[in-house]
Parts: sequence; C-alpha cells; structure tokens
Amino acid sequence: MNATDKLDRILRRDAAEDIADEGFAARVMAALPAREPRRQSGLNPTLVLGSAAVGSLLAVAFAPANANILQGMIDLYQHHALTPAAYVSIGMSAILLVSAALLARDA
Amino acid sequence: MSSAAAPSDAELIVAVLERDDRQAFARLVERHQSKVRTVLRRLTKGDHALADDLAQETFVLAWRNLRHFRFEARFSTWIYRIAFNAWQSEARKKREIAMDIDDDAPLAGPESFEEMPDIVSRMDLERAMACLSDGERAAIAACYYADLSHEEASVALGMPLGTVKTHVMRAKAKLKARLVAKEPS
Repeated sequence: MNATDKLDRILRRDAAEDIADEGFAARVMAALPAREPRRQSGLNPTLVLGSAAVGSLLAVAFAPANANILQGMIDLYQHHALTPAAYVSIGMSAILLVSAALLARDA
Repeated sequence: MSSAAAPSDAELIVAVLERDDRQAFARLVERHQSKVRTVLRRLTKGDHALADDLAQETFVLAWRNLRHFRFEARFSTWIYRIAFNAWQSEARKKREIAMDIDDDAPLAGPESFEEMPDIVSRMDLERAMACLSDGERAAIAACYYADLSHEEASVALGMPLGTVKTHVMRAKAKLKARLVAKEPS
C-alpha cells in the first residue's frame, strides 16, 4: 500500500467516525424560528379571481353598445380590425391572462 | 415493505414543507449532524465549539431556506454548501480567507513518503489539517469528510473544478509530509 492509499484510508476512517448527538439536535430545534406563514393560499386566488371578475364586468359595462366579446373576436379574426368590440375582447383576454399568470405563480 | 423503512431525506423534507413538521426536520438534523459537525471541525482547525455553533447556524439556515431546496441534488450536498458558506462568512469576519491556490507551496512526490504511518491519532491529523491553506482544507473537507465528488465540491465551495483538484493534490502532499515527519523512527 503506497502513501497515497494510506492517507486516503486515514482520512476516510477519520471522516467515518460518528459524533454523538449529545443534545445538539435539541439545541437546533430550540433555535429554530417560527416558520413564516405561507402566503395564504385561499386569499390570493380569491383576490385575483375577484379582481378579474370586477375587471371583466367593468370592461363589459363600459363597452360601446353592440360591442360584445364574441363580436370582438370575430372582428379580430376576420378583419384584423381594432373595432370597439375588439378592444373589449383584447381587454378581457389581458385580464384573464394576468389572472392566470398570478395564480400559476402562486400554485 | 418500504413503508416500514426509515423515511428518505426527500420524504422528510416534503413533510416539513407541506405540514410544517418539526419532528421530520429533527430527524434530518439527527441524521446529518455528525457529518456536518465533523466537516466543520476540520474546517475550523479543531475548534469544536465554533464548529458546533456553525453547525447549528447551518441547520437553522436550512430550515429557513428549505423551500428553495431542489430535489435534483442530495440534501447532504445542499447542507454542506450552507455549512461551507457559514464557515466562509465566519472566517471573513476575522480575516480574509484565501481560497486561491498557493503557488509557492512545494509539491513533493509520493516516493518521499514510504514511511507513512498506518494509523494516525485524531490530534495529529487535526494538527496536520490546521497547516493547510483555507482552500486546501476546504477541498479536503468537501471531498473526504463530506464525501462529495470533485464536481459537487466545486459547486459547494464555489470554486472552479480545476482549483478543487489542485487543492486536494497539494493538501494531500502536505498532509503526507506532516504525518511522516510526525512518525517516530
């Protein structure tokens, strides 16, 4: 056995020796801070979905007459035109996208 | 069968994260305390009190940051990384620690050490380890005491892989020289 092997063995033997706990784990547990409350999982989705719903209602309420979402989609798809209905449709889509992104982040 | 077996580290971590299970974390501490304290004792040149303080800090930091643990790595690798950081922070408070390669250190060939003893006392080993540079001691602690691969040690210590290998090589040459010199003829 050469010197390198001997040294490896000496180091590994030293590393393998156990240190008795002797109250160490208990001291660690006593030193642990109270865990920060996790983001309240029920509140955030409610807020996000509620905001999305209110935003959607406002978008519909203030939309010009005859500017429904379906019509906006059709306008965008068929005519590539930014009609008032298309604006409502884009606004609604944006609100839903932001809501989905926020909920996914917190999931 | 597996349900009767001791829960894995990953299972304990999930229990902590999902149920805030302190008992599960206590089991993780009990399971890893010996290795972490041994590594830190070697890093702190045998200062057991300081090593235990750093070990406690390590586990408290692990508790605080457990949600950032990525399950691709072993929990032990992750906790050693925290321990090395704690040691480096502590060392920096006292002085600049030198993790670079000491180019002036001699590299003796293995043929010089045929009289390497088979058994070395812990005290002699601690003294020999204390003569290493910070980087060399950290590399030996990571690769032998924490049982990390060179690649894992490189990540845990935040130093390039080549530097880890060089530190290990130089540290072993120095340790052999010190331990042979210690051996009574």
